[in-house]
Amino acid sequence: MLALAMRAASGNSFAAFLALEVRRALRNRRYVIFTIAFPVILYVLYTAVIPASGDGTIRGVAWNLFFLVSMATYGAIGASMSQATPIAVERVGGWITQLRTTPLASSAYVLAKLVSAVLLTIPALVLVALAGIAVNHVALPPARLLELVLTLAIGALPFAALGIVIGYTLDADSAQGGMVLTFFGMAILGGLFAPVDAFPEPLATIATVLPSYHLAAVGRSVVAGALPAVGDALVLAAWTVGGGVVAAWRFAVAGARARG
Amino acid sequence: MHSAATVTGVRDATVSSSRSSAILFDGVTKRYRDTTALDSVSLELETGRTVALLGPNGAGKSTAIGLLLGLLSATSGTVRTLGVDPREAVARGRVGAMLQSSSLPTGSRVRELVELVRSLYPEPMPTEEVLARAGLEGLADRGVEGLSGGEAQRVRFALAIAGDPELVFLDEPTVGMDVDSRRSFWADMRRLAAAGRTILFATHYLDEADQAADRIVVLDRGRVVADGSAADLKTATPERTLRFTLDGAEAGYLRNLDGTVAVDVRGEVVTMVSRDSDATVRALARSDVAFANLEVTGPSLEAAFLALTGRNADA
Repeated sequence: MLALAMRAASGNSFAAFLALEVRRALRNRRYVIFTIAFPVILYVLYTAVIPASGDGTIRGVAWNLFFLVSMATYGAIGASMSQATPIAVERVGGWITQLRTTPLASSAYVLAKLVSAVLLTIPALVLVALAGIAVNHVALPPARLLELVLTLAIGALPFAALGIVIGYTLDADSAQGGMVLTFFGMAILGGLFAPVDAFPEPLATIATVLPSYHLAAVGRSVVAGALPAVGDALVLAAWTVGGGVVAAWRFAVAGARARG
Repeated sequence: MHSAATVTGVRDATVSSSRSSAILFDGVTKRYRDTTALDSVSLELETGRTVALLGPNGAGKSTAIGLLLGLLSATSGTVRTLGVDPREAVARGRVGAMLQSSSLPTGSRVRELVELVRSLYPEPMPTEEVLARAGLEGLADRGVEGLSGGEAQRVRFALAIAGDPELVFLDEPTVGMDVDSRRSFWADMRRLAAAGRTILFATHYLDEADQAADRIVVLDRGRVVADGSAADLKTATPERTLRFTLDGAEAGYLRNLDGTVAVDVRGEVVTMVSRDSDATVRALARSDVAFANLEVTGPSLEAAFLALTGRNADA
């Protein structure tokens, strides 16, 4: 079984499948508007409103860098969860079943969704980074920005896993709602719109266990030129493993149900 | 009455295994929570043929195909596809399938899907040949959202054959197609069969089974009730069909007339199967049934089917 999965995941077939997944998402207007355009628009608007209070630093970085990282994190989360609805639609509509009649291993489908979710964070991340330079005159070397983009893309893995969990658990309409709820819940409670320092208890404590909070913290370490804190990395790794396990379980349940 | 129509194709095929086996069911039962979809079915089909699984809705056709593709697991019994476990046959790219109403993925184009499926199989058919065989030459660059129902069906057929598999499963392939599309679809199918592929299709259209299949397996309520060529099934069923129009027909009353085997009432059109059409016509004439436009026709697949299952195929 594993051998079959690895064979299917290697070489041409996996690459072809992944390429089509990415192309399909880029043709999806909802993805382009909500996951590529929205974060950069939000970033520009948000930082245009904030300056009145924004002459200092927040959590050790300049306010404009703080919000650059926050909005980039927001974009990465939204994009990496954007496969939830397509998975639900393809599962309920029968496309996944159709693929099960081909040599593509079922696990290769999930792997392609995971990898495409990570790749699909890159447009939003790059746009936010460019807007940081162009609009907010963020003073960061391009290499540092590139490092931020790549770190946040890979750090979005736990959210990609959550998107897969949602897609394999809810039907198409509920999946969209479930994804938006999780996405905004993670973004707001993780302190991406307002710093956690302003949170009352118990929200401030809740924030510290969320992957969104720690992904933003990792991003701030990167722009500060520091190594990510071990604690942040550990929490993200724990969410990736936990999300991955639940995703694998939901995937197995869906497969068993399809087999009756 | 049923036994007379059951041709012993099952046992024949098991004995003469000189040609290799395309599919094999050995005592297969498939139960869902509260229904039995297949009830100890034994069946073997050889390669190189076009076989119809004919039966009304709920007969077990889709369940049989799901088992052969490894999408379902049998409750008991053994299922083999091309001599091996169905999941192995699928993993090795030896089968292709067109399932009932599986949606095409949004945001993709026809050619992209064909090429995707080709990339998954070890020895696929050239893209242009796939498109030509499915009649999609003009639609290759079309997005799947812009396809009509019949065009989408043709794309799904293309995906079933793109890997150039030995065995192709088609579950109700022409549902939603208009008459012209259906005709050209079966012409495509005959070309595929002529190229040596084994085709197993499920249908509830008698004329499709009659015209396209070398062998017809009739399923009813999870059991094989007949198995043979269309000619076998017709001659094994001496019954005649009576058809007439009648307002407010009562099937219960008509079923008691002399010689009647089965009655199907569809609006004002009544179809009766009789093992003694003379007696039935006389009884009909003596009764005060105000029938009109009476026709009596000889052995047909329709009569065989109605006699075997007590239902019209497309009921």
